Amino acid sequence: MLKTLIDAFALISTWEVIIAMVAASVYGLVIGSLPGLSATMATALLVPVTFYLSPIAAIATIVAASSMAIFSGDIPGALLRIPGTPASAAYADEAYAMTRKGQAELALGAGVWFSAVGGIAGVLSLMILAPPLAEIALSFSTFEYFWLALLGLMCATLVARSSPVKAIAGMFIGLLVACIGIENPGGVPRFTFGLTDLFGGIEPIPALVGVFAVAQVMRAMLTPEPPPLPRRKFGSIMAGQWKLTKLYHWQMTRGNIVGIIIGVLPGAGADMAAWVSYAMSKRFSKEPEKFGTGHVEGLVEAGASNNASIASGWVPSLLFGIPGDTIAAIAIGVLYMKGLNPGPTLFTEKASSMYAIYLMFIIANILMIPLGIAMIRVAAYILLAPRSAIMPIIMLCCAVGSFAIGNNMFGVVTVAAFGVIGYVMEANGYPVAAMVLGIVMGTMVEQAFVTSLIKSDGSVLPFFERPVAAILAAMAIGALLWPVMVWVWRKLKPAQAAAATSR
Amino acid sequence: MRLPDSVTGSFLVVLGAAAAYGGWILPPVPGQPVGPNVFPLVIGCGLALCGLAIVFGIGRSFEEEEVLVPFEDGQAAASPPQEKLQGKLYGLRALLPPALLLFYVVAADRLGFIITAAIMVYVTSTALGARWKLALPLAALSPLAIHLIFGKLLRVPLPAGLLPAPW
Repeated sequence: MLKTLIDAFALISTWEVIIAMVAASVYGLVIGSLPGLSATMATALLVPVTFYLSPIAAIATIVAASSMAIFSGDIPGALLRIPGTPASAAYADEAYAMTRKGQAELALGAGVWFSAVGGIAGVLSLMILAPPLAEIALSFSTFEYFWLALLGLMCATLVARSSPVKAIAGMFIGLLVACIGIENPGGVPRFTFGLTDLFGGIEPIPALVGVFAVAQVMRAMLTPEPPPLPRRKFGSIMAGQWKLTKLYHWQMTRGNIVGIIIGVLPGAGADMAAWVSYAMSKRFSKEPEKFGTGHVEGLVEAGASNNASIASGWVPSLLFGIPGDTIAAIAIGVLYMKGLNPGPTLFTEKASSMYAIYLMFIIANILMIPLGIAMIRVAAYILLAPRSAIMPIIMLCCAVGSFAIGNNMFGVVTVAAFGVIGYVMEANGYPVAAMVLGIVMGTMVEQAFVTSLIKSDGSVLPFFERPVAAILAAMAIGALLWPVMVWVWRKLKPAQAAAATSR
Repeated sequence: MRLPDSVTGSFLVVLGAAAAYGGWILPPVPGQPVGPNVFPLVIGCGLALCGLAIVFGIGRSFEEEEVLVPFEDGQAAASPPQEKLQGKLYGLRALLPPALLLFYVVAADRLGFIITAAIMVYVTSTALGARWKLALPLAALSPLAIHLIFGKLLRVPLPAGLLPAPW
């Protein structure tokens, strides 16, 4: 244990890792603070760069950039009422109300401080949860993996803030995309339409860049430019944070726990965590009437929650290759590329790399405090950059980055195509996160499904015979039937339905 | 780009049916009951069912209205009425980014990275409302910067074309 820890320290104390981490932190802070550029997009655009780094440095960039971007989204939320990332949307109103009351420092300071605390709580959950789960997962057969993957996909559809039918449809589209290519049980070209470029299948990373970056540029074409940030002088940012910690320690802990749970659930990420925690904070608060008028309590809980979900999202990713959120989906792609294939054996064979990941998360969250304060002070200058200067550079990065992944132009075509698909889906209420999960998990789901069917000789019964498989199956089927039950329940009680829709 | 649910749902039914049929006609693996055809068949059927459900409006009651942050009085943007004036063609602007990416695919090998990238940057920037004072220097400098990072430092083989990079 101690030796692995020392090994892990040796792994991360190289110049490459340190420089990569600091650079990625600054990059994450800047992208996160620009409205319309999300943490997922920041991570997706980083991937081509990670190709050229060592495995640990590559993961360091993703860890640092994603943690920073989630915090940094609070800055324009508090100062402009425009969340920088969707994860800050839940409490942008509250933070802006605080700014108008002259408490901008307190709001932003709470953002930095409780983000860092939440991030560290998330890492602790990763350190505590992952090894025992890995122990259990070692005894999993393809049946358990099939149900687990299905459960993951179903969770993603349940938590989507949209119609579950559309979310399931989005998931199926993703799985269909994963069918393309010759990497299937028979090794025959499937849905390639005679195009050799499609033989290798659709790479998840260009698809993700398309869905998250190109689609965003497309939306920017049709939406008005956000107003510039008023320049202002800030007082001390960290003043009073310790008092808040003592006053709201229970809210903070609850935020951390909710964030961790939501992060572990596949498909649900930081934005969901923030919404749930903010609502929870209001529901259980002693002074709910103060919410919405610039009350810091909700900020504490939601800020602690969304950063906690970032680290805990890595739990299912590292263990099963099932992404906990869209950022982890990208991380999984990088892990595969770097020979750190997700799975329970990762914790025994590459233990030092795992410890290095924990350490990097902790360092990133500590680094967040000084860098975050600096960022708050210069944010007004960065937000002066007009969208018409940033979006073209994002476009160039999309083109060059997707080309760099395979050094062929087909990657660029993939990005363009998925930009259109992502844009159309989002505009019509189909959650893209469900599709992304389908693309990333498709090959794994099919493998587990077909291998299980071969083992069982075409019979369905063995899918339920092993105890763990039966439990997972019950949960997955329950998740599938849940929307149906809610629907029936609403039909039976029209009064409640009316109340629910008029809400 | 908001289409009626009946349109997107019908499209999904067709797509799912096509996928199921495409899976059906794949050759089976000799001596094995299940092969590459099973998974697309299952997915295709599932997708078609979802499409049907969407056409009939099942699950719509779950959809939440998009939460738009209302603007403050002073910030009220004058753009919504403007958008209506520009009519149907305005919506097509959204297709510009993917079109430019395809342009990159076609032109980069012939024109070279620097020139193609400069054109992309200039067009995107102008489309987002930048004046030439911003768009021109941006188009001149940003391809060089990107080339420095990706081409020089990360050694991505970017096409040189007509105008090779100065390094």
